[in-house]
Amino acid sequence: MNTFKLYSIACLLLAGLSFSCTDLDERLRSELEEGSTNVNPSDLLIGAYSALNEPYQQEQRWVLEEISTDAAMAPTRGGDWDDNGMHRAIHQHTWNADNSYMNNTFRTLLTAQFQASNVLRNNPTPQQAAEARFIRALSMYDVLNLWGMVPYREDLDNFREPPITLQPTEAIDFITSELNAILGDLPASGKAYVASQNAAKTLLMKLYLNKGSFLNRESPTFDPADMNQVITLADEITASGQYEISPPGKYFDNFAPHNDAVSTENIFTLYNEFGVRGGNIDRTWNTIAHYNMTPGGWNGWCTLSDYYDLFEEGDERLGIAYEYPADTMNNPGHRRNVGFLIGQQYNLENDQPLMARNPASQPLSFTREVTIRTSGATLETAGIRPMKYAFDYSVPSGQRNNDWVVFRYADVLLMKAEAILRGGTGTPANAMALVNSIRTNRGVAALGALTLDELLDERGRELYWEGWRRQDLIRFGKFLEPWQEKAADPGPHTLVYPIPSQQIAVNPNLEQNPGY
Amino acid sequence: MFFILCRNGCIRIAFPSLILKFILFMKLVLFIIFITCMQVSASALAQQITLSEQNVSLQKILREIRKQSDVDFIVKTAQLQQSNPVTINVTKQPLDKVLEQIFQGQPVDYLVDNKTIIVLDKKAIQPSSNLPGESVKQQRVSGKVITANSEPLAGVSITEKGTTNATLTNDDGQFSLQVASTPAVLVLTYIGYVSQEVTAGTNSPLEITMQQDLASLEEVVVVGYGTAQKKDLTGSVASLQPKDFNKGTVVSPDQLIQGRASGVMVINNTGQPGGSTTVRIRGNSSIRAGNNPLFVVDGIPLSGTSARPGDGGGGYGSDDGNPLSYLNPNDIASMDILKDASATAIYGSRGANGVIIITTKRGQSGTPTMNVMASTGFSNLLNRPQVLSAEQFRQALAFYTPDDEAADHGGSVNAFDAITRTAITQNYALDVSGGNESAKYRLSAGYLNQNGIIETDRLRKFTTNLSGNFKFLESKKLGLDINILAAQNSENIAPINVGVGFEGNIISQALQWNPTLPLHDNEGELAYQSPTLINPLTSLAAYKDRSTVNTLLTSISPSYKITDELEYRLMYSLTSQTGRRTGRYIAGMINPNNINNGSAYIHNNTEMNHQLTHTLSFNKEIATSLNLNAVVGYEYLSFDTRWNAESGSGFSNLGGLDYYDYLDYAIASNRSVDSYRSPTNELQSFFARVSLNFADRYLFTGTIRRDGSTKFGENNKYANFPSIAFAWNLYNESFLRDSEHISNLKLRLGWGMTGNQEFPSGASKDRFVFSAQSITQANFGNPDLRWESSSTINAGLDFGFFRNRLSGSIDYFRKTTTDALFEQTLAQPAPGGRLWVNLDGEIINEGVELALNGNIVQNDNWNWNIGANATFLKNNVNGLLGYYETAALRGQGFSGVLGQRMVSGQPLNVWYLAIFEGIDPETGTSMYRGLDGTIGTSVDPALNKFYVNSPNPDYLLGISTDVAYKRFTLTVNMHGAFGHYLFNNTMATVLGVNNLSNRNISEEVFDTQAGESTSNSAAPSTRYLEKGDFLKLSNASLSYNIGNIGKAIRNLNISITGQNLLVFTGYTGFDPEVNTDGTQDGIPSLGIEYLPYPPARTFLLGLNFSL
Repeated sequence: MNTFKLYSIACLLLAGLSFSCTDLDERLRSELEEGSTNVNPSDLLIGAYSALNEPYQQEQRWVLEEISTDAAMAPTRGGDWDDNGMHRAIHQHTWNADNSYMNNTFRTLLTAQFQASNVLRNNPTPQQAAEARFIRALSMYDVLNLWGMVPYREDLDNFREPPITLQPTEAIDFITSELNAILGDLPASGKAYVASQNAAKTLLMKLYLNKGSFLNRESPTFDPADMNQVITLADEITASGQYEISPPGKYFDNFAPHNDAVSTENIFTLYNEFGVRGGNIDRTWNTIAHYNMTPGGWNGWCTLSDYYDLFEEGDERLGIAYEYPADTMNNPGHRRNVGFLIGQQYNLENDQPLMARNPASQPLSFTREVTIRTSGATLETAGIRPMKYAFDYSVPSGQRNNDWVVFRYADVLLMKAEAILRGGTGTPANAMALVNSIRTNRGVAALGALTLDELLDERGRELYWEGWRRQDLIRFGKFLEPWQEKAADPGPHTLVYPIPSQQIAVNPNLEQNPGY
Repeated sequence: MFFILCRNGCIRIAFPSLILKFILFMKLVLFIIFITCMQVSASALAQQITLSEQNVSLQKILREIRKQSDVDFIVKTAQLQQSNPVTINVTKQPLDKVLEQIFQGQPVDYLVDNKTIIVLDKKAIQPSSNLPGESVKQQRVSGKVITANSEPLAGVSITEKGTTNATLTNDDGQFSLQVASTPAVLVLTYIGYVSQEVTAGTNSPLEITMQQDLASLEEVVVVGYGTAQKKDLTGSVASLQPKDFNKGTVVSPDQLIQGRASGVMVINNTGQPGGSTTVRIRGNSSIRAGNNPLFVVDGIPLSGTSARPGDGGGGYGSDDGNPLSYLNPNDIASMDILKDASATAIYGSRGANGVIIITTKRGQSGTPTMNVMASTGFSNLLNRPQVLSAEQFRQALAFYTPDDEAADHGGSVNAFDAITRTAITQNYALDVSGGNESAKYRLSAGYLNQNGIIETDRLRKFTTNLSGNFKFLESKKLGLDINILAAQNSENIAPINVGVGFEGNIISQALQWNPTLPLHDNEGELAYQSPTLINPLTSLAAYKDRSTVNTLLTSISPSYKITDELEYRLMYSLTSQTGRRTGRYIAGMINPNNINNGSAYIHNNTEMNHQLTHTLSFNKEIATSLNLNAVVGYEYLSFDTRWNAESGSGFSNLGGLDYYDYLDYAIASNRSVDSYRSPTNELQSFFARVSLNFADRYLFTGTIRRDGSTKFGENNKYANFPSIAFAWNLYNESFLRDSEHISNLKLRLGWGMTGNQEFPSGASKDRFVFSAQSITQANFGNPDLRWESSSTINAGLDFGFFRNRLSGSIDYFRKTTTDALFEQTLAQPAPGGRLWVNLDGEIINEGVELALNGNIVQNDNWNWNIGANATFLKNNVNGLLGYYETAALRGQGFSGVLGQRMVSGQPLNVWYLAIFEGIDPETGTSMYRGLDGTIGTSVDPALNKFYVNSPNPDYLLGISTDVAYKRFTLTVNMHGAFGHYLFNNTMATVLGVNNLSNRNISEEVFDTQAGESTSNSAAPSTRYLEKGDFLKLSNASLSYNIGNIGKAIRNLNISITGQNLLVFTGYTGFDPEVNTDGTQDGIPSLGIEYLPYPPARTFLLGLNFSL
């Protein structure tokens, strides 16, 4: 019996112990760990490019640049689009540091900075490193533009240490030197969704052009040397021979499905390809389209009639019936399907007039008039809806093939014209010729004279809803003025946004911008 | 003083002399664990004993016999001290012969009752008729003793009052006793039952029903890695048996205890059969980590998750389902709720939210018994928010939108009626158990088919359970327990997703449906409005959502009794779950212009968990009156989950086939594939518990657990969780022992540390995640990451008066949680934006729990018990830097709107909202209160918010009563919660006047006096914050015991049960208990109702019997 007893205990213990005692080493199985040799720089680089999708394509940076201006508004429609007043605050410049647009945009732009930096410490090729540094420079430029300073992290090993804060001069110097340093390693040509020398040069142009307002937003001064930099860079881009202003009737090709193939103007874009990868380009339709349209949407944002009135009849940019390759949408009535949607809307398949949802007896006819809180009969129909990207009907659901446009050649020419007017080398006539070279192709008459105000209007027409309006209004000293559904700003503090309170709470190196 | 030698090797000091008199004749029956003792065994006295002892104490002999057999003894210590030393030398003699020999010439004698041997004074046993010289004329009374369920009760002690005449009932519950006088007063006593006196003549046989003593001191409580008698507990533990459970059809065991125990809050998050619940023991203590208690099933600590895959997004059902739904409530023998840290610290880093131990039923030795239970019934809608009828709607149109005549379609429909139904439920359970002393088994099967009250919704559940308990070797020292539980839950899920966009789900579609517009057109087709104003019946038809979860839970547990005092046990368990969910959506039904865009998905999920536990338990009376009960152990747990998901879109409707059965039809770029496997998740623990009992008066328990977890950071792999507790059994003190009225009085005091490690694996590491062709760093690791720890003090008093006819307990607790786990915002630029940290600050949960049970009436025909429990809770956050927002409110106009905060000086999840000050009669728009106190329509509700009220109840209440009259028994259970506030999100964004003219509105807002403008927008304000106070008649059951029919059918019982019968509340939404998930950044919310699956009321007819 005793032997049996011992034997039994021994067996049980052995059986037990054979499973026991682990060193509690945690192994990841669907993710990689720091230090893994499999962290491939090319994969990280795609991750860095993709990090730009959220701020750019998902109504973040865009809202801060456009809804805050005379070009766009997100009206509250009855109970809809109230959303705690966050959209109204942006248009009316009554935002505070808790507004979720602040926090989201700040976070995603800076995450892009990190993801780009992270490529650099994982053995990239010189071109990969240069592309990553371009992405980082772009995201830093955006943060500088929106918040007037840039948190920057050199040490990527310890995120519990707060990042340093680059003040405008430091940030401008940093971005400038970075862009100049990488030019040699960037490709001279290629698809617009790969950072190129021309993309870096366009960003440098933006930096030189806006430097004066970044350094003093209330009363910017423009150094002729900077303006000449803008002109030189524009000339280099033109000299690369890769771009031309879209011929008449082709303005919307720049934003159409497969614009990577059909655009002649796009310098830097964010890649969207069905079945491959991309960002949430659908938001560009969702945020404006009425429920009963195809594409359908959430019946939200619109432009304002004063902005619409900047355009003259016949301007192609107002909108056209965009012709798709066969079989995607027949549009028998040849109705306007891109540009500013105003008046009665139609079912593009059978040309029947569309009706509103509530009441369903009301025609879906978008009105010029819109207030920041709409109500009553025009609750669903108030406001003209700009639809710049032609909807990609060929994709049943999922990633549409319109690449998101960041930099475009027309902007390069307009920036050069502005630099000339702001004291760079050249005559006002040279500047006017540049503007007119664009206008001609857009189907409007050439200007006879060009002032800065007219140039601002032309930028408004050419680049509407592309995410530059706030920057322009600040640079032209008009951001604090009243416009439709917005009073004059109480003070100049709104020229920069407040640093999100959640970030102030965790980063002792951040100081809230004055006035907030 | 007594001690009991019982079969599992322990020696328990038991039974104070105060209650000695009526315990003397009681059989040792412990409610659950020792239920097996009750079974008939003819072989008990035939067991063979070998003894060779010289002049040893009777006590030692009895112990030796106990070692060699499986009989238990009930002995009075004092009696043994008076006994004579014994010399015996027998080899393989039958037990009865041996007993005869050792009791020869002793001042004590014994009674054999089944396998329990009761040692008594000789005179107590000898019937008076046997006494020499007795010449009084003897008379005889006879009868039968049964339980409330008409089962015969064997071993009941029957004494003629004032005499020494006594007997015990036999296996059939029958007795015959010679009495000294007629009518005789008989005193009946039985452990676990209420003693009673019966006056008896001699003419006819009596039938006496014994009532269970609900406040019995002899309850055995499962305390984790062992059991304890309730009277020996030092911690705060609520123990519930089937008689305490909620009646009716329940899918998951947590619903069995809803409202039944103090300190425990169970909320059905949804009315969906098998839907998820929120269980909180003594409030919330975490900001970010899980708040659900740890569930332990038959020694297996569960992962708390289920392999039921999540929804396919969009319009499918979004409730997570209940991870415990694979258990068959009919298999559950007890649920023990460990509440304070002195009880839960043995579970260490997983014990902070309390522990609920579920013990399933085990086989009983004896001839095989089959129990059959069948019930069927129907459910219908309990409650819903009232919207306008067609007639009211016309009035509303005339008032609010007189210009829009087209909105009146002339009909009169009730769309909510159209999507709901009277749903049939069927529930069957069968179990067979039997065996002998060496091998016991129990086999059970269950089938539940519960139709939801929403059309198309259904839950079907199959469960089987096989358990076996074996003893090997002649000495029976080697034991083996096995348990296999297999279950399949399949669900047809209604398309009720709370994450839907403005097009809503079928609940909002039905509530908003224009009541003048028929749901079907003249051709009988479903009426069509627009792709975004959807006929709820169309939604029901367009979405199909199926889920099947297969669960296999197996455990094998060999044990060996090394010495009489020392037992080793090994337990290995494997829990394997596979879940599969498929869904399809017919696009053309919702939008006739979009007929070729159907979509479908398949999600597969598997979870595989292993457990290995070694325990060594020791029980010994180490000195006079000092008993030591100790356990030490090692445990290893591993959790592994993986999933894959496939989806496709661009389907046209081909022959009515379900798209998910031919995903390959979709063009390649319209298909997507994802897969994931969790990081290793292992726990390795060492634990020990020591319990000391001195003289049954002073009790001490100390536990410690050392946990190591893969989740913890490199620098904090291990943690220690200690606890200590004392208890003082006052009623055993000499100054109370003879009290007439006090039958129990115990003071408990405990302290302990417990942990919470319910955060995702991988949080302590730098991680790079994959997405389409790219890698990004998603997490910044924190090697210092450690568990969240809670320290709890608990002081309690258990009391019983009037032979425990009034009993209860009161507990005060204070739980302080520090090092709260939180996913903190990283200072950007940084990966992903978050870093898991342990926050400064503390969360304090403080409260008082009270439980009372009273036996109000007890006589021949009537028995009436009332029980009540109440919990008073206070919850506060201190020292937290900044604030954290949560509670995502939903619906049109509420994008990105959060309603609650975690902030210092406020309760967890405090509401942070604008204060609504009515409708301005001038403009018809809402007025709010400004931070400066001004009131008006110009006050921006987004910028003027206040901390207003808490979603955490101030107190919880549970009331239960049962009344028995002859063979009828009525049981009624109620529960309620008070002092908390709920956000009626359905009202806020689905039923406002701005729905007009095309959609219906709530009756609440149709107010011609207020004159609200149809363009008034809703804001997250106190307008929609309602008091959540409620009292619910959760269930009532009336049963009639028919008894035995013929020889075959025994104990036939029929019952009618109503569940969720009534709710008393001022809340205007669906159900004050609904809790729609509004988790934001992983921070849970509480108290939101948004378009839930509506609650159901159920009526059931049930019957059960044994064969």
